[in-house]
Amino acid sequence: MTLTHYAFSSSYFMSFLGLIFYRKHLLSALLCLEAMMLILFMSMCLWGLILASTVLSAGPMILLAFSACEASAGLALLVAMSRTHGTDRLKNLSLLRC
Amino acid sequence: MVFMTYLLLIGLVLGLAAVASNPSPYFAALGLVTVAGMSCGILVGYGGSFLSLILFLIYLGGMLVVFAYSAALASEPYPEGWGSWPVSTLMLVYVLLVVCVSVFFSSGWFEGSWVTVDEFSEFTLFRGDSGGVALMYSSGGGMLMLGGWVLLLTLFVVLELTRGLSRGTLRAV
Repeated sequence: MTLTHYAFSSSYFMSFLGLIFYRKHLLSALLCLEAMMLILFMSMCLWGLILASTVLSAGPMILLAFSACEASAGLALLVAMSRTHGTDRLKNLSLLRC
Repeated sequence: MVFMTYLLLIGLVLGLAAVASNPSPYFAALGLVTVAGMSCGILVGYGGSFLSLILFLIYLGGMLVVFAYSAALASEPYPEGWGSWPVSTLMLVYVLLVVCVSVFFSSGWFEGSWVTVDEFSEFTLFRGDSGGVALMYSSGGGMLMLGGWVLLLTLFVVLELTRGLSRGTLRAV
């Protein structure tokens, strides 16, 4: 595996681990998700660039558009949670259940 | 040149370890900004300068700015950075994990092409990434329309998600 491939694979799995082992804030989990999307974008770009195939360059742009949709949906959930529970700490979801 | 790309790749892995170790969202957003900057540099090193510009503008300038504003919702009096021991332990574990697993994948470490993707002739300069993105407007026009439609639907999804208790969606938190 070349250095670039290993760097992207390991950083993808690392941000996946960071998403799984979230600690306190929902926003840090969303940032790990955004990091995964960034690595996916980079990988799709480099795939087309390394193979010198120009057709594959449109894929990352579409991925970026859908990643923006996903980020805005996640942030809307964060704002909704902050409005009802006062903070985005995930323990607040299970405290003081009616 | 190759050394520069190696440095940027190391910065990418370290910056992502800083994001994945789940510090306070201020520091995680800062780590993500540096990671996006490093990855723009890597893309330029491979010859995709247009895609790097798109990443910088849209991702850094659009999405991460929104994340930085939303970090105000995650405010706490003592933000945890690398000073607190869970964060620094996780960071060390992730970096050690990357270094140790790289031993198993180190065959073929230095085989790879660093040639940029463009084509020079007498009077033409064809950049591979710009030419490829132009396909999004010609043959991939349906995908473009679909992407625009999905973005419009996401606007309505966001307005519906943040409807909340009292009236209106566009109000102070």
